Amino acid sequence: MLNIQTRQEGTASVVSIQGKVNFEVTAQLRDVIRETVATAQPKLLVINLEGVSFIDSSGLGLLVAARNSVDKSGGKLHLCCLPAPVKKTFDQTNLTNYFSIFATEQDALRGT
Amino acid sequence: MRSAAPDRQPPIRMAKGVVLVVDDEAPIRDILSFYLKRAGYQVLTAGHGLEALDEMSRSRPDLIISDLRMPEMPGDELCKRVKSDPATRDVYFIILSAMDGTASRIGGLSLGADDMIPKPFHAQEVLAKVESTFRLIAMQKEIKRQNKELTAFQERVREEMELAAALQMGLLPKLPGEAPCVRYTHRYLPAAGIGGDIYAVVPLPEGNTAMMIADVSGHGVTAALISAMVKTSFENQVRLGGEPLAWAHGMNEDLCRSTLAEQFATAWLGRLDPATNHLRYVVAGHCAPLRIVGGAKGGLQRSEVLRGKGFMLGLDPQLPFVEHDAEFLPGDRLVLYTDGLVEVERGDRTMLEEAGLRRICAELPAGAEEAADSVIAQARAFNQPAVFVDDVTLVVLDRKP
Repeated sequence: MLNIQTRQEGTASVVSIQGKVNFEVTAQLRDVIRETVATAQPKLLVINLEGVSFIDSSGLGLLVAARNSVDKSGGKLHLCCLPAPVKKTFDQTNLTNYFSIFATEQDALRGT
Repeated sequence: MRSAAPDRQPPIRMAKGVVLVVDDEAPIRDILSFYLKRAGYQVLTAGHGLEALDEMSRSRPDLIISDLRMPEMPGDELCKRVKSDPATRDVYFIILSAMDGTASRIGGLSLGADDMIPKPFHAQEVLAKVESTFRLIAMQKEIKRQNKELTAFQERVREEMELAAALQMGLLPKLPGEAPCVRYTHRYLPAAGIGGDIYAVVPLPEGNTAMMIADVSGHGVTAALISAMVKTSFENQVRLGGEPLAWAHGMNEDLCRSTLAEQFATAWLGRLDPATNHLRYVVAGHCAPLRIVGGAKGGLQRSEVLRGKGFMLGLDPQLPFVEHDAEFLPGDRLVLYTDGLVEVERGDRTMLEEAGLRRICAELPAGAEEAADSVIAQARAFNQPAVFVDDVTLVVLDRKP
């Protein structure tokens, strides 16, 4: 099971995830992201990955799809607080250069 | 011409169901029969349990309404017999009991009866209970029918999956694998019978060899379909000539065109030129393979990681890739794999990872087959007690001396 929390910060939505992001839980995460984007229509979606111990290819695919859908609605997706194992996966797949990645949630919300 | 005269007989109405009434008092049998028949049921009658069993050997009631106290065989014994015989267990059993009160009700139900009606009763009450019981029976029949359909459907899906898995196995190179300057083998362990891993080795002109291993995101049939697409795309690109960089761009465009939002593949593409002893390759988000220097002859060896950075295939048609270059000498060994081999989380939350695979590969047997078995066995031993949860593909490719 994945622990997912969402909250609003002004015009930004923050989704915080704890647990292992793999094939079994992508449906759950996809629903939350989809609902957040549909209801809050945030200018900025921040996904905080601080509590993620592992992410597999389905999880990465979900994040890529999230970026594309936020892009389409004129918003931005920022990721923050990548733990070392997750950072490694992002580096290996070169996704570090595909996403806007920030060290802290404050930075991600500021977008700097 | 006149058509044949219509049948004058009233149409035979299908009975709503068959009820067996068991009571030693004829008036009670008659009253119940009268009301039930009028309501559209077919009614059978018996004076006691033995007669009831005899009746049941000839016909199959849906519901039995039985008195408790009867000569020859009382109702509780009849109920026990009916409910203990697998052939009649599903027949609904209602006990008519002169004893009112909760105690006897519980007693009756503990015999295995489905319901009770206290005596004296109103015929209308019995009828209402029969009607509700038949609604229940209809529901149960419907559930049984749906269950049967579902089981048949599952069986069909299972058969199709088996067929798909066999077909997918057919997409992998035939073993033992042989190209002009290499010998190779694979170990392919899909997580769900069918998986998203694929690899290919294609001989090129002038003794060159094209190689590809890919891991499609997700599992199951969708991933398997895309893996077949990845293989076809790779073979098409290779046929066009060119270098791995061009192949990666072409395959990326192919996949972006034909897959959905969350589907993509990590891949490693390489081209070996035996004249220059060089391997040109592109890493598209895939685990970097190991080159084991002189590995084909077995024993203690030094390995190096054929690193490179690149996006996965199928993300975005505009994304750039980078081609890398490594030495690959006669007698060298290449170990290609998908992340399922090294990303099994054990109880202590550690995984084999690339470093662990390098430790395993530091000493392997000489033949590619023996080496592949050894890698899988050692990875399994490391992962204990966990098992492989993702698709696992391992390719051991030895350059001929």
